[in-house]
Amino acid sequence: MKKILLEVEGLSTHFMTRNGVLKAVNDVSFTLHEGEIIGLVGESGSGKSVTGFSILGLVDAPGQIVAGSVRLQGRELIGMAEPELRTVRGREISMVFQDPSTTLNPVLSIGTQMRLALAAHETVSRQAADTRCADVLNKVGIPDAARRLDYFPHQFSGGMRQRVAIAIALLNHPKLIICDEPTTALDVSIQAQILLQMKTLAQDFGTAMIWISHDLSTVSSVASQLLVMYAGRIIESGPARDLLRIPNHPYTHGLLGSLPEHARPGQPLEQIPGQMPSLIDLGSECAFLSRCTKSDSLCHTSPTLRSDGSRRVRCHHPIAGDWH
Amino acid sequence: MSVAHDSPTSDHALLRVCNASKQFAPSLSFGDHIAVWLGQEIDQRIVHAVDGVSLTLHRGEVLGLVGESGCGKSTLGRMMAGIYPASQGNIRLDGVPVMGAGKKPLKTTTRIQMVFQDPFASLDPRVRVGETIGEGPLFHGLVNAADLKAYVTHWLETVGLPAEAADRFPHQFSGGQRQRVAIARALAMQPDVLICDEPVASLDVSIQAQIINLFLKLKHELKLTMLFISHDLGVIRHITDNIAIMYLGRIVERGPTLDVYENPKHPYTRALLDSIPRLVTEGDELVVFKAIDGELPSPLAPPPGCHFHLRCPHAQEICKTRVPDFEDQPSPPVSGHDVACHFPLG
Repeated sequence: MKKILLEVEGLSTHFMTRNGVLKAVNDVSFTLHEGEIIGLVGESGSGKSVTGFSILGLVDAPGQIVAGSVRLQGRELIGMAEPELRTVRGREISMVFQDPSTTLNPVLSIGTQMRLALAAHETVSRQAADTRCADVLNKVGIPDAARRLDYFPHQFSGGMRQRVAIAIALLNHPKLIICDEPTTALDVSIQAQILLQMKTLAQDFGTAMIWISHDLSTVSSVASQLLVMYAGRIIESGPARDLLRIPNHPYTHGLLGSLPEHARPGQPLEQIPGQMPSLIDLGSECAFLSRCTKSDSLCHTSPTLRSDGSRRVRCHHPIAGDWH
Repeated sequence: MSVAHDSPTSDHALLRVCNASKQFAPSLSFGDHIAVWLGQEIDQRIVHAVDGVSLTLHRGEVLGLVGESGCGKSTLGRMMAGIYPASQGNIRLDGVPVMGAGKKPLKTTTRIQMVFQDPFASLDPRVRVGETIGEGPLFHGLVNAADLKAYVTHWLETVGLPAEAADRFPHQFSGGQRQRVAIARALAMQPDVLICDEPVASLDVSIQAQIINLFLKLKHELKLTMLFISHDLGVIRHITDNIAIMYLGRIVERGPTLDVYENPKHPYTRALLDSIPRLVTEGDELVVFKAIDGELPSPLAPPPGCHFHLRCPHAQEICKTRVPDFEDQPSPPVSGHDVACHFPLG
């Protein structure tokens, strides 16, 4: 059994907005082992990105982590002093964001940006830094890396820019990389290249990853474990293969059914009616109640997350399985 | 599939794109003009967005246009909708050019309407939805002022929105509902052809399914003729009768959708289909996808010969010099599935 790297327990992040308290992340718990890739799936507004940000303490006002704990190899990150947290960010946990054209600084050459990322955590000579930067760039598939250190972000294509962002994330050999929809802005052919590369890199470096995405197909091609989020809560989790073959929550089931590849061409897709409720006035009922076909009177009380060992589901009427 | 008036195989095309090209050149600055006047050579970077494309769209047909970003699919869609004039070639609806002649040509028909990708940008935030939908039909005399309310209600209900929606503003709707409004606006003009540019790309999966189902319903009920532009091969497979695959400004393969998916002939189509991550499990393993090497070359300086030769595993000398043509194929295409490649697959 691999060692536990990250434990998230009862994490809740709320946004104090003018209209009320927006419960973006609500009682999220999961564990991540060393070298494991976990997929965090959900639609927009489900709280998947905020979960990622909360782990790194990157939640700004009006957002606030109101409860829970995040432990990296036993060390508590919530409530850690900012200077100490800065030594964790980028070195032990790094992050790759969705849009590479806004995360890279347009007026600094990528070499400068990479050297800054290195210098933030250790003292290295200019020459050693350049070698290391070029080395990592090569690994993420940028040819002629040593020369390209002098290039500026605008001289790269979107796919190449994302590779640079990934290279920066890898630079300090972190134990965990949080990837927030890193391939969403890219074309399918480039997405495929980057997915394959990330998967191999994670294996080579033994890096664990949290892969956040709205795209079940993308996530399932890299992750071994899946967490499905809906309205700020984890509603189902388990090994990717099992979860995709037999989804237990009606929402996951509906989500898989609404993918065109699961239907006969030209036939209406199975659709989930309605839309996600507002996160401001979530009542005590199951958040999926209004869209669910299996709901009954029981569903007016919020279901708890039940486990059968490897899988968890938050539903009063799971589709299959023996739940405790 | 569903055929309204003509069979898709008949020669009578509703919309015909004939050898159309579009180049975009940056406008010259005052200094550049003087330099040209003095006989200086100015490096005018011309983008070859669409390069000699021919396509036909038959009544009742849903044609998918697939390609990566930057391949020119949106430009082609806008040319067909009469938004951009073609630099060369022509686009005709029932034999009549969709755009007038002259230096600043205008669209000549209201029979082609368009649905855009982002419903947050394509609807005027200050105009009530009812007015957005009713303005065009009223102006063009499709309905008189007395019947306008009922007319708007009819189209709102067609796309699955309540009649009260007419009095609301776009910001009061979710993304999926806004896209329904955009579709209602296009349909209210009673178009013969609907051009949809990535209409579901910005929506969440569960909402995307709702809109795809709406398109399927409209296709059957209204016998709509559609050009459906998308980079999402799953969506395209589901909704279209025929597809055209585009690469760097050119159509490289076209044919009946299922035929192309099951038996792609162009190496690019093959590679594109292989690169989609899929959820289909085979036995215990997830189907592994492959990646195409390299990236789309810049349309500022497209490579000579076949545009795909830099990334193609089958490329030979001839591919570097000679542009493959649909007419090059040794045998006439079966069932309208043809390919522009010197070395087509199986």
